Amino acid sequence: MNTGKTNAVKSPRKSSGTNTYRTIWRWHLYAGVIFAPLLVLLAITGSIYLFKAEIEEVLYQDYYQVAPQDEKVPVSEQLEEVNRLYPDSVVTKYRPGENNTRSSEVTINTDSESLTVFINPYTGKSMGQLNNEDRIMDKIEEIHGELMAGTVGDRLVELAACWAIVLLVTGFLLWFPKKTKGLAGVLFPRLRKGKKIAMRDLHVVPAVWISGGLLFLILTGLPWSGFWGDNFQAITTNTGEGYPPSVWIGEAPVSDLETKDIAEVPWAAETLDVPVSKLQGLVPQSLDQIVKIADREGIYPSYSIFVPQEPDGVYTLSVFPPKAEDEATIHIDQYSGAVLADYRYDNYGIIGKVVAWGITLHKGSQFGLINQLASLAICLGIIFVVISGIYLWWKRKPKKGMGGPAAPALFKTKSFLLIMIVLGIVFPLVGISIAAVWLFDWMIVQRISSVKRWFNA
Amino acid sequence: MRKRRLLLLSIFCISILSACSLRSDAADLYKQENPLQVEIAMPDSIAAQETFTMQAVLTEPTASIEEANFVHFEVWKHDHSIHLPMEEATFLGKGVYEMDFQLEEEGLYYLEVHAGNNGSIVSPRQQFIVGKLSEAELNTLKEGPVKEQESSEKHH
Repeated sequence: MNTGKTNAVKSPRKSSGTNTYRTIWRWHLYAGVIFAPLLVLLAITGSIYLFKAEIEEVLYQDYYQVAPQDEKVPVSEQLEEVNRLYPDSVVTKYRPGENNTRSSEVTINTDSESLTVFINPYTGKSMGQLNNEDRIMDKIEEIHGELMAGTVGDRLVELAACWAIVLLVTGFLLWFPKKTKGLAGVLFPRLRKGKKIAMRDLHVVPAVWISGGLLFLILTGLPWSGFWGDNFQAITTNTGEGYPPSVWIGEAPVSDLETKDIAEVPWAAETLDVPVSKLQGLVPQSLDQIVKIADREGIYPSYSIFVPQEPDGVYTLSVFPPKAEDEATIHIDQYSGAVLADYRYDNYGIIGKVVAWGITLHKGSQFGLINQLASLAICLGIIFVVISGIYLWWKRKPKKGMGGPAAPALFKTKSFLLIMIVLGIVFPLVGISIAAVWLFDWMIVQRISSVKRWFNA
Repeated sequence: MRKRRLLLLSIFCISILSACSLRSDAADLYKQENPLQVEIAMPDSIAAQETFTMQAVLTEPTASIEEANFVHFEVWKHDHSIHLPMEEATFLGKGVYEMDFQLEEEGLYYLEVHAGNNGSIVSPRQQFIVGKLSEAELNTLKEGPVKEQESSEKHH
């Protein structure tokens, strides 16, 4: 954080090992204090989101549950009901219920909003609708993924996740026992050796215990992120070992057809004189046909059908169920009903499979309740470690200033510099922010003496 | 020294901000389908009580088709007052199939070609007009896609 030549004067002469230790400590402290609020926020929203399915099952039971009867009405009739209720809306998605007690869902866009209409598939009648903006779990997800602040928020979350890795690495280096003196203070907290030691151990020891889980959550969450994640996905998809295109990033195939072969829909204003030849041609497949294709191809029952919005669009069957092995993305030609692409878990490359497992584990769905509880324990651990870390710093810090140890510049500690460079390359946002910190230090901290004193730089 | 560091830093930042993009042919690296393509040919105008021929030309993206596994034609009037059930079309060679029809009433009709080959199954649906459309039929068309009725499926 500091590059100034003054350090040589300021910091007491110590062995280079101690100096490196102080530099690592300094970085760990500043990174920790800066990213603590975000990490706590991510841990809290993550803890809630783990139980999304259970929470929504309770919140929306009036929309979800139907009494099973012998026969379901055709999808087209369900759409007619939606069309009657919202005459000017556009259907974008249809989700048949995954079992015989579950309603079907029709997602529509009206002029101003996106709604989900719940239909009883046995009567074809609406059970009510939800504004997709109002769904609390979607809000939680939005906070967790992008702080409800779009791209800027997405990058901030990614930055916090990447810096959490820096915190893990620097924390590990600070914790790593230099002499073997038993496991007290290493793997078990020393609670009866005075307040200072207890305070330190209550940050360090739990942090070590959760470090593996935290690293796992960060690494499995990063493929979602907008910058690191999208680049990662593009690189792995390009090698043939990632997700096939369109599952995560990339375009779906198109319904390849010349416009002249498609039947025109006459506008309401037109008279009977529409040229007959223009009305002759292929018509899009109906959702009834698409559901039959889905039944024929076999797909996990909680799938959704995305309805094409363009003349050359495709119907997309998509399902990301609790277990990665059940995932599927199927693209269907809008006019012929031909399966243009059919990507299952088995068709993912090896990296794609690993990432898919990572994501279901991250969401806590792969192994059900045990998975959820394990992830919850890690989240609660993160909150505890962050708070105990902040408490430790608050209690130790002098009244004036940050209380960071005076330490040599990053550039002067070869081994730690190397670690930071590697992290900065693997996680470019870390690299950019290290550069930003360095610029801040060079242009402001080193030039304004009061700031310099405050940072103990 | 510092200027050089600054230069290196900016080069580093620019190079990582220029994101990687997906190859346009990336799909070729993964599982491929061989979707059957059907082109339907019919006369520009069809009169009632007149015999006309419907033709389907089947192709596949990678190889040319000789004879497909099955090709059936099915025709119905939009209100299902007339319904000619699925029937095997005549094979003319090189993926070309045809069938003759004669329809007694004017109006809005559909032809559905049920075809399958090498695991790809398609059912393109062609809208066509015999003689003139009634006003009611035109209004139906204006309402958008014609509603589904359980018709063709029971013949499977």
